[in-house]
Amino acid sequence: MLVLSRHTDEAIMIGEDVEIVVVDIRGDKVRLGVNAPPRIAVHRKEIFEAIREENAHAATLRSALGISGGGGHALNAASGRLRAGAGTFATIRSIAAGRVSA
Amino acid sequence: MKVNTTRFGEVEVDPGRLLVFPQGLLGFARFRTFVLLQPDDRGVFYWLQSVEDPELAFVVTEPTSWCPDYRVTIRASEMALLEMEDPSAATYFTIVNQREGAITANLQGPLVINPQTRTGVQVVMSDRQWGTRHELVRLPGAAAAMSA
Repeated sequence: MLVLSRHTDEAIMIGEDVEIVVVDIRGDKVRLGVNAPPRIAVHRKEIFEAIREENAHAATLRSALGISGGGGHALNAASGRLRAGAGTFATIRSIAAGRVSA
Repeated sequence: MKVNTTRFGEVEVDPGRLLVFPQGLLGFARFRTFVLLQPDDRGVFYWLQSVEDPELAFVVTEPTSWCPDYRVTIRASEMALLEMEDPSAATYFTIVNQREGAITANLQGPLVINPQTRTGVQVVMSDRQWGTRHELVRLPGAAAAMSA
């Protein structure tokens, strides 16, 4: 790993269009500013990892939530309590590409 | 066009209905093109199926149906990627999971879609108010044990 020393208000460049600025240093906390084009996503690592882990697990669901019998019943009951407006579902239908049997 | 899927076989979709996530989803950056599939007309869960990988699909739902207070904080860079100025014109989904006897939703990493351009992004919210495993439904014992 490349290790660089920087003072407050100094920066590093990654490639031609990503700039990381040391905004403030206080105790063991460093505030960093990131200037990057929109196509480059910048995230706190621990949150990034948590979401990535959820995505990976979610991608392993095989059937409609892997539920049958009582589980399906619980889902239907919960769905009955939902309060989405008709407008929301109309928008979703306009986005959906097709119908499948799960 | 035909989309091959391992779960639903070959599905015929209108090419105008494709959804493009220019950055992919976290951990799945290589896959950019998806279609939203409806199991039935009244269901609240949908499948976000990859067009590029038949195996890759996520169960998603519309989060404010479950949590009316839920709000997504979108950064300017994400709005720019979606080519949107008004966040209220976006459509929101959350990826659904099955965790420890419950159906959960990742409310910290919602999917935001511009319905006009059919472009989407998985937003990473830095505040932890909602979390990655927000419980939607607790499953009864039998179903919970089955998923363990």
